[in-house]
Amino acid sequence: MVRKIVCILTIVLSVSLGAQNEVLFDAGNKSYNNGNYQQAIESYERILSSGVHSTELYFNLANAYYKLNRIAPSIYYYEKALQLSPKNKDVKANLSFAQNMTIDDIESVPEIGLSRIGKNMVNAFSFDTWALFSIVLVMVFAALFLGYYFSSTTTKKRLAFIVSSSAIILAMVSLFFAYQKHHYVQKDNPAIVFAKETDIKTDPNLRSEVAFTLHEGTKVQVLEVYDENWTKIKLADGKTGWIPSEDIKLLNNI
Amino acid sequence: MKLKLHIIAFLITCFASAQVTFEAKVSKKKLGINERLRIDFVMNGDGDNFTPPSFEDFTIAAGPSQNISRQWVNGVKSFSKTYSYFLAPKKRGKFTIGQSTIEIDGEVYKTLPITIEVTAAIDKPKDPNDPNYIASQSIHLVAEVSKTNPYLNEAITVVYKLYISPNTGVETWRELDNPRYSDFWSQNINVKELKLVNSTFNGEDYRYVVLRKTVLYPQKTGKLNIEPLTLDIKVQVPTNRRDIFGSRLLKTVHRTVAAGNRTINVKPLPEAGKPLDFSGAVGSFDFEVSTNKSELKATEALQATIKVSGKGNLKLFELPKLTLPSSLEVYEPEHSEKISTNLSGMQGQMSNTYTIVPSYQGKYPIPSVSFSYFDLTTKKYKTINSKELVINVNEGPINNNAGDNSNTSTIIKEPIAQSGGQFMSFKTTTNFISKEPSYFFKSKLFWVLLLAPFLILPIAIFLRHKKEERDNDVVGNKVRTANKLARKYLSEAKKALGKKEAFYNALERALHNYLKSKLHIETSDFSKDKIEQLLTNKSVNGDAITGFIDLLKSCELARYTPFSNVEMQQDYSKAARVISIIDKQIRR
Repeated sequence: MVRKIVCILTIVLSVSLGAQNEVLFDAGNKSYNNGNYQQAIESYERILSSGVHSTELYFNLANAYYKLNRIAPSIYYYEKALQLSPKNKDVKANLSFAQNMTIDDIESVPEIGLSRIGKNMVNAFSFDTWALFSIVLVMVFAALFLGYYFSSTTTKKRLAFIVSSSAIILAMVSLFFAYQKHHYVQKDNPAIVFAKETDIKTDPNLRSEVAFTLHEGTKVQVLEVYDENWTKIKLADGKTGWIPSEDIKLLNNI
Repeated sequence: MKLKLHIIAFLITCFASAQVTFEAKVSKKKLGINERLRIDFVMNGDGDNFTPPSFEDFTIAAGPSQNISRQWVNGVKSFSKTYSYFLAPKKRGKFTIGQSTIEIDGEVYKTLPITIEVTAAIDKPKDPNDPNYIASQSIHLVAEVSKTNPYLNEAITVVYKLYISPNTGVETWRELDNPRYSDFWSQNINVKELKLVNSTFNGEDYRYVVLRKTVLYPQKTGKLNIEPLTLDIKVQVPTNRRDIFGSRLLKTVHRTVAAGNRTINVKPLPEAGKPLDFSGAVGSFDFEVSTNKSELKATEALQATIKVSGKGNLKLFELPKLTLPSSLEVYEPEHSEKISTNLSGMQGQMSNTYTIVPSYQGKYPIPSVSFSYFDLTTKKYKTINSKELVINVNEGPINNNAGDNSNTSTIIKEPIAQSGGQFMSFKTTTNFISKEPSYFFKSKLFWVLLLAPFLILPIAIFLRHKKEERDNDVVGNKVRTANKLARKYLSEAKKALGKKEAFYNALERALHNYLKSKLHIETSDFSKDKIEQLLTNKSVNGDAITGFIDLLKSCELARYTPFSNVEMQQDYSKAARVISIIDKQIRR
C-alpha cells in the first residue's frame, strides 16, 4: 500500500516537474529573446538542477553565455550539447563562434594510417549502436545456421552457411568495436579551462616550474587527479602538465 | 732706608732673571707617521755634557744641531743654547720621549718627558704660500646626490658643483675621467649655460657652478659606488707679489680635482605584496588599452594600443603583452616612446601598437591586461587592470576549422556545412531527458539477447531431432494425427456426448467444417454425391468415403430416431477414424 502511494506520488511529482521545466524553458527563451541573458541563464540552470537535460537546453544556455562574452561556460555547454548529439550542425556552428574568442591556439596532432581508419570506424557509431548491431547479427547467424542445418538442398545449404558464418564474424567485430568504443568513452574525460589564465606546472605543487600557460575556454583531456587539488591534463598537441583542479570543469560529471 | 729697599728689590729681580731654565720643546705633539717631529732642547745657560733621551721609538732623521744665540738688548744680556733633533716616528702609537740632562754651572738639569701621539699617515703638510696649496684650498668639486638610500629603479640625481673661492679664478677645465655608472641606468641632462651662483662652503663665502647633472636609476641592490668625476682645472691663484701698480700678481696653476667617491645604498623593492606580473616599473603611472575601432568587417585592419604614461623608470621595463584570441591575425607591435628626462626623472609615455586583422566574423574579446608598478609615494605596489574590450566583426567568412568531433581522443577537424554562416539563435522546443545516462551496452538485457541465440541453437536442433524421431514412428503418428484431428474438429461433439440432439448437430457441423477446410466445399453445394465425387477425385479409397457418408447419414437419421449412448460413442470414434484416414489420403 505504502509502496503504491510512493509510486503514485513520484509519478505525479515527475509529471508536474516536467511541466514546470517546460515553463522554465519558455521563460528562459523569453528572457533570452528580450536580451536578459543573465535571467535566461538562471532559468536554464534551474532546469538543469532538477536533473534533466537536453541538447537544446545546453545550446540555449551556451548561447546566453556567449552573448554575455563568457567564453568558458559558453564553450562548456556547447560541448555538453555535442555530447548529447554529436552531429548537431547548429551546435557546431555556434561552438566555432565561441572558439573564435579563445586565446590558446592548440594544433592537434593528426593521426595517420591504419590507426586513424580504425578509430574512424569505431567512432562511426555509439557503443550502444554497436551492441545492437552485434545482437542483430548474432540472431541472423542463429537463424541461418538453423537454416543451414535443416535445409536439404545443397545450394541453400551453401548459401546459408556462407551468410551465417559471415554474420557471426561481423557480430564479433561489432562486439569488439562496441568494447573499443566503450573504452574510448571511458578514457575520454575532457574538461574546459575556466580560469582566465592559469599556469600549467610540471609537478603537482606550486613550487614547480611553469610548463606553459592556458587561457579560458581551452579544452583539455584529464589524465589523472592527485590529492584532489591537482589534475594532470593533456592538450590536443600532446603536451601534459598539472593544473589546479579548481581551474577546470569536467565535461563528464562522474 | 727707602733706597735700601729699592736696591734689594733690584738684586732679587737680577737674581731671578739669572735663573737657569732647561726645556724640551716639540714642534707638535700629534703627528702622522709620515711626518717629522722636531724636538728642541733649549737652555739659557751654557751647559756641558748634554745627554739626549734615547729616542727608541723614533729614528733620528737629522741632528743634533747646536744653535747658540747671544743678545744684548738695552744692556740686558740674554743667552740661549739649543740642541735640535729631527725625528721620524717608527710606528703608530703613543710614545714618551724621555728626559735629557745637562750640566750647567756644575748642576744637573733635566727636562720633563713628553708624550707624542703618532697617527696614521696624513696628507703632506701644506705650505700656505704655495700656489698649489692655495688652489687646493679654494677649488672644490662636490657631487650632490639627491638620495643615498633609494629603492631599486628609483630615480636619483647627481649634480656636480664646482665651488670656487672669491679670490681665485678658473680659466678652463678638462674632464680627465668620466664616471661610468656601471650599475645604473644613467642619463646626462645638458647644462646649457654655466651660471655663477654665490653660496657658502664650509661656512666660507664661495661661488659655484653646476657642471653636470645626471639622472640615475639604480639597477642593482646593495651598496653601489658612484665613480668620481675628475677634472683638470687651470686655476688663477693670487701670489704675494704685486705689480708696479700694487695689485697682486696671479699665477696659473693646474689643479686636478675629484668629487670623492659616493656610495649609495640601494634598497630592494619589498617582496610583500609583489604582484606576479610586476615587470620592474617604479614611479607613478597610468595604463590604458584601447582600440581604434570596435566594429569592423573581416580583413579590415584594427589597431590596439597598450599605453603607459606617467613618471618613473619608463624605458626600463617592458610593456605588458596583449593576449589575443588565436583566431585573430596579429602583427608585431610597433613601439613608440615620448619621454623627456629632467632632474626628477623620466616622464612621458610609452606605447605598443598592435595591428590586428580578423579573418572571420564573430566576437573577439581582448582580455583585460594588468600592469603593476611600485608607487614610491605610498611605498606600495599598484595594479591597474585595463577594461575588457570586445571587437565585433560583422561581415566576413566564418571560421570553419572549429567544431572538433568531441568525445573521442581523435580530433579530426572537419569542415562544417554552414547554414547561412551565422550565429544560430536559441531553440524553442525541446524534450528533456534524465541526466542519469542508461546504457544498453553491458546491461542485462544486452547479455541475454546476445547469448540467447546460442542457447536456442542446440534447443532447436534437439527439438528437430525429436520431431524426426516421431515422424519415423508410423503407428504412433497415426494415433497422434487422429487425436489431433479429433481434437481439432470433434472437441465440440465430444463435449455434447450423451445429449443426442446436440451431439449429432455438433458432429454434422464438424464434418462439414472438416470438408470445408480440406476440400474447400461451400455449404451451399453440400450434397452426398458431390462429396463422394470430390473425395474420389482426391483419391480417397472407397471404405473411407462410405464411412464418411454413413456418418452423415446417421447424423440426419438421428434427428428422427432415438440413439443410444453406445451408438453415439461408436459414431464419435468412427468419425475420428474416418477423418484421420481421409486426412492422410488427401494429403498424399
